[in-house]
Amino acid sequence: MSSNPGVELKGGMYTFMSLKLHTSDTDIIDQLLADKVQQAPAFFKDTPVVIDLSVLEQLTDGELDASSLLECVKRHKLVPIVASISDKSSPLARSIAIPLIDGGSGAISESKSNRAAVEDNEEDLQNTAELPNNEPSEDDLAVPRKIEYVVKAPLIIDKPVRSGQQIYARDTDLIIMGQVSPGAEVIADNNIHIYGPLRGRALCGVSGNASTRIFCSSLEAELVSVAGNYRMLETIPAELRGKATQIWLDNDKLNIEPL
Amino acid sequence: MTKTIVVTSGKGGVGKTTTSASIATGLAKRGFKTVVIDFDVGLRNLDLVMGCERRVVYDLVNLVNQESSLNQTLIKDKRIENLYILPASQTRDKDALTIEGIARVMHKLKKSDFDYIICDSPAGIEKGAKMALYFADEAIVTTNPEVSSVRDSDRILGILQSESRRSKLNEDPVKEHLLITRYNPTRVKDGQMLSVDDIVDLLAIPLLGIIPESPSVLDCSNAGKPVILDDESEAGQAYSDAIDRLLGESKPHRFMEAPKKGFLSRLFG
Repeated sequence: MSSNPGVELKGGMYTFMSLKLHTSDTDIIDQLLADKVQQAPAFFKDTPVVIDLSVLEQLTDGELDASSLLECVKRHKLVPIVASISDKSSPLARSIAIPLIDGGSGAISESKSNRAAVEDNEEDLQNTAELPNNEPSEDDLAVPRKIEYVVKAPLIIDKPVRSGQQIYARDTDLIIMGQVSPGAEVIADNNIHIYGPLRGRALCGVSGNASTRIFCSSLEAELVSVAGNYRMLETIPAELRGKATQIWLDNDKLNIEPL
Repeated sequence: MTKTIVVTSGKGGVGKTTTSASIATGLAKRGFKTVVIDFDVGLRNLDLVMGCERRVVYDLVNLVNQESSLNQTLIKDKRIENLYILPASQTRDKDALTIEGIARVMHKLKKSDFDYIICDSPAGIEKGAKMALYFADEAIVTTNPEVSSVRDSDRILGILQSESRRSKLNEDPVKEHLLITRYNPTRVKDGQMLSVDDIVDLLAIPLLGIIPESPSVLDCSNAGKPVILDDESEAGQAYSDAIDRLLGESKPHRFMEAPKKGFLSRLFG
């Protein structure tokens, strides 16, 4: 503890969700966000987002009402932290009341010098290739220009899943902090973890991922399925019932083993 | 602060109305100004159990449609001070109720300084049941010790989580209580009924009380008297314990063990 400096200021890399705007119409943005957030309210709740203005700053038609945009984003329980824009001195940049960062990801080919050349694809491509050499900044040395992957947070349910309820974790893991009642259904494109008795149905890898697994602290399921290969309760060996188990697929054969 | 408590179960015939009547009566007996509302529009029963069926003039549907005033519609109990009954309509159906209309009624009751509003839910998971639970702060889930009743209670708990006003407004969730009715320890011992432990394990909510199966429940219903007023009966005492727990007291659960057979009944039983 004695060597603890109290504070450390250093660079770091974090993955954020970015909200790329293709329109300045906040009504349309509002509607599209509502649709998106509604698919997984728990997933989006209080998620920090980067407002990506790289497309919008190229559009000439329509002024963005920055304050109502921020309000709209916050209304959907997202937390706007920074705006990404290439021209920090533009009126658009000045109107938005959150910190700005250099418009990085994906905005390279759309920089000002290239705009005139949009008709000529070949020239556009050449310019794009040259660009990183044209304007290397200190940031470029520390942080790659483009982050290609996004780690999607798991869907975490912190109460029991009751009979008649269905929970689906799209493109991610599903974590249940409680029981899954008979007549309830928990579904995920990725793995399923259940910290409680599994008495209903659990289906993982439903979009075809055969390397996903189900983990539960007490196996009493009506049905378990990995990537479409399922087993009912009566075909589950009696000695595994009520045990903490994992379920996975090995050459199209469903394996159930105690943890 | 007015507290709204729904008595619900999913399944029919498990003792919702009996429980609503006794819980409301028990709370009023302890000095809380309490109203019990019959949400079972079309199958009006609560007035019979409360013994006021001859005094019904206006009903919940009249009040929702603003055809009567609150004072005209509320029936004051003759035995217990502070206790009021808001009967259902027998000639209408559940479509006569709207959330806006009920919200108006709830608002009027809150302005009349009621401490407790007890909502007696109809069976099922359709509109009537959803209306009854929509405004709840707390829920008493009534369950019999058998699998289908437990399954239906589980279903209604899911609906409470997702369709109540509190869940829609992202407020603190509805506080859930489990009340096991018609519990018969002898039949549990023989394996004919689920045990308290089984039910609590399946539903995973706190236990408010265990009401033993008792002939006095039916006798009281027929006589139009809430069973909690029968101090002699085990069921009445069990409801009284449940009121204590509802008010925050911790009390050991009674009536869980099969009665020990005496010498004579062992000889002749």
